[in-house]
Amino acid sequence: MRSPKDEHAAGVVQARLGRAARDVIEATIVLEAWLGRPAQSAMLAARELVAGDGDPKPDRGRIDAPEDDEQQGVLVEGIALVLSILSVAAWATPLSRALGDGVLAEAIAVALPTSVALQWALRSRYLSRRSGLALLARDGLAFSAVAALACALPLALMPAWGPVAAMLVAIWVAGTVVTRRGWGLLYALMLVATSIALAQDGRPYLVLGLLTLVTLSVAIAAVLTRRSATDTRAGTLSRALVAGLLGGCIGVLLIGDPSLGWGVHGVHPAIALVPSVIGSFWGGYYLWNLYEAVPRGMSGVPLHRAGRAAMTDPAMMLFLGAILRLVGATVLLSGLLLLIGRWTHGTDDVSVLVAFGCMALVSLLVGLLESLGRGRAAVIACSAALAVELAWPRIVGAHVAGGALAAGAIVGIVLTVPPLLVLLSRSGRVLATTLWIQ
Amino acid sequence: MITEGTYPYAIGGVSSWCDAVIGGLEDIGWEILPIVAGAKRRQQHFELPPNARLLRPIELWSHGPAPRGVPGRRAHPNASIPAQLLRGLLPWHGDLDALTAALVQCRRFPDDVRRAFRTRDCWQAYLSALQDILELDDEDSAPAPAYDAIEAARLYQLLYWIARTAAVPTPRCSLLHVTAAGWATIPALVHKALEGTPMLLTEHGVYVREAYLASVRDTSASRGERHMSTRIALGLTRAAYATADAIAPVTEANAQWERGLGADPEKIRVIPNGIHPVGEPLAPPNAARVIALGRIDPLKDVQTMLLVADEVARRMPQARFEYWGPPTPGEELYAHACERMRLRLGLGERFRFMGRTSDPHGVIRSGDLVLMTSISEAMPMALLEAMAQGRPAVATSVGGVPGVLHGCGIVTAPGDVHRLASAVTTLLRNPGLAAQLGRRGYERLHQSYTLERCAEAYGTLIDQLTCGAPA
Repeated sequence: MRSPKDEHAAGVVQARLGRAARDVIEATIVLEAWLGRPAQSAMLAARELVAGDGDPKPDRGRIDAPEDDEQQGVLVEGIALVLSILSVAAWATPLSRALGDGVLAEAIAVALPTSVALQWALRSRYLSRRSGLALLARDGLAFSAVAALACALPLALMPAWGPVAAMLVAIWVAGTVVTRRGWGLLYALMLVATSIALAQDGRPYLVLGLLTLVTLSVAIAAVLTRRSATDTRAGTLSRALVAGLLGGCIGVLLIGDPSLGWGVHGVHPAIALVPSVIGSFWGGYYLWNLYEAVPRGMSGVPLHRAGRAAMTDPAMMLFLGAILRLVGATVLLSGLLLLIGRWTHGTDDVSVLVAFGCMALVSLLVGLLESLGRGRAAVIACSAALAVELAWPRIVGAHVAGGALAAGAIVGIVLTVPPLLVLLSRSGRVLATTLWIQ
Repeated sequence: MITEGTYPYAIGGVSSWCDAVIGGLEDIGWEILPIVAGAKRRQQHFELPPNARLLRPIELWSHGPAPRGVPGRRAHPNASIPAQLLRGLLPWHGDLDALTAALVQCRRFPDDVRRAFRTRDCWQAYLSALQDILELDDEDSAPAPAYDAIEAARLYQLLYWIARTAAVPTPRCSLLHVTAAGWATIPALVHKALEGTPMLLTEHGVYVREAYLASVRDTSASRGERHMSTRIALGLTRAAYATADAIAPVTEANAQWERGLGADPEKIRVIPNGIHPVGEPLAPPNAARVIALGRIDPLKDVQTMLLVADEVARRMPQARFEYWGPPTPGEELYAHACERMRLRLGLGERFRFMGRTSDPHGVIRSGDLVLMTSISEAMPMALLEAMAQGRPAVATSVGGVPGVLHGCGIVTAPGDVHRLASAVTTLLRNPGLAAQLGRRGYERLHQSYTLERCAEAYGTLIDQLTCGAPA
């Protein structure tokens, strides 16, 4: 039986906490803070006031609100991407005519992997992080300038194809920054205008040079206008280097198959790339939700299920959803491209479309592995894919257009899917060991 | 000296104390290791005395690089580290040996910490340990709430940051002076285990009490989150008490808490805060002006103060209240709520939030008395400053306040608006009584709470600890 004093104390505890005290310290604190009892006497009284919650069901753990502020609308970004690819595809004919097939092919062979490597490194260190542009403005301008000069200057010194390659690298990498700023449509319009200028003007160096200057200026403006205080830290240099290496591998994979004829077959390979790029964009965009969807899906899941594997776990569902989007969109748009083949003069080669589809898939999988901190597995898969692609024409021959790329990409897919399935089927583990421990 | 969220980056009582003790013990060379949250660019609010050197801060919850070890010195990632940390920190009575062993392992092989926490084995061992611990019973605690996967992952992340904190190297030193029994304990605990260096713990507020108060205030937290935050604080506090060679609370009220939480009474030596005395006090303005000094924070119970002002204003319309101090970072919503309450009560010019001041003594001199309505305090500097200026104080009976104000102010129960208002009115209407209490406070300060006494007590204690003599 409680004394009136204890009854009063219990009432104060109940009123202040909205429940009974969970332990002696909690009760002591209430008695001390709101009744002014000295700690020693509060501790003695507190023992009587402890009671269990009596509810074996877990609450839902709190989930942090999504914080990114720099993502733009998916539709605008998608339209800009398609416009960009089509515009660059449209450059091929006038540039080949003005520079010669060989020069453009060599320029693209160097510019594409270099650009993808720089884009991946830039994303890993700055752009894929919260307030990425503000971070770039704060910490990364000098780093980016040095990296860009280190890549573009040696290229510019090369004979014939070098300056073109250097300009393409500058345009594509700066374009990534402009797009991240939400100015993707502006970037696409600049590329469209360049296509028109190239078609009408026979001076490709002048036109590309102007575009390079304008794109770099817009990129600098994009970064500087995002200058704000941020407590986010840049990604580690080692991680950025691994991402750059992977991007470079993906780029080499893309141009490593001679049967695709980059810069030789005019606009064809670039147009054939459109379906897979759109599929990859959609799948990747869906996967962007991983950091929000996994905690949301695991909220309220009892502890005993936190370590179990399940194909219906949120991370796995998201992964499968991304694959489905990528494959679905690529197949659908490839079919459409085949249907309109007679207007696109020869992009109706199914094997090329399959190769680009596989390429898009391996790119997504490698990117996901890297972002989950499995850089080593991603590098192994990428290297194996590249080795197979480069060896393919010598072993099998180049009978099928895009065959080497498809073979390499399939090897990459085979090597990346198992570790991803093992990891993503355990959402609790992904959350605890990967997403929340970077 | 290891600080946590205070010196030299934050303004406040603990930071001022750190600065004063370091400056007061100029024969000692100090190295300051701050533990801070996030990777923000921090502004240093205190210029370090010549006998102190600032080390690189330990950043919690940042994306900065993890501590690195000697190249090539790696062990196989130890899958039991998270589970060991959990056993050391989460139960009502944690396993200190397991905790120390795991933290030492993190320091020896810092490169393995991240790798270990990212493995499946670590996660599984942790989950299994967590389930076992949540089923443990203790007579002082109700059964643990059920955790969900998010809470389990959140706790895992917390343990990772504890492991990272332990992995940061600490310089060779003769004494580890820890200024809070929480995160600041971790590097010291490891250093002591490896080098045998003595450790001195100073507690301004009782760490675990503050963690519980924060948890009570956080109404959006789930049961599991409240459980984990308070238990980890309890685990760190108990580890600090067990590891420290001497514990120096600033007030006897804290010492009661420390004994209640299992600290060895033999280790405890109360060393009150002190301030520099500032000459003879000036006469009060007799303007019915009440001064409050402190951050705008729920722990200060500013809303009770507003109600007190309202009640006093009804009895003495000429009374004026001035609240000096900024909102605590993160408590801006509370500050807005207080401002709205001030407007709703129609206090107008009778109660004003004045913002930050760099001259607390001048502010107190301009008033007739000092008011404090906190629900939690250790040994508030504002009361010492009031005593230094010969002003009486009305305050709530929390922490060390009754001890400090004994005979030189009026103390009431926290949240008791009527009594607080009556005390304020009594002193404003009786300048003679106010002056008498103020004079007593001034004399008491000179007798017991000067900075020289405080520094001297620390000097003696540090000498004893570093010479191996019992504290």
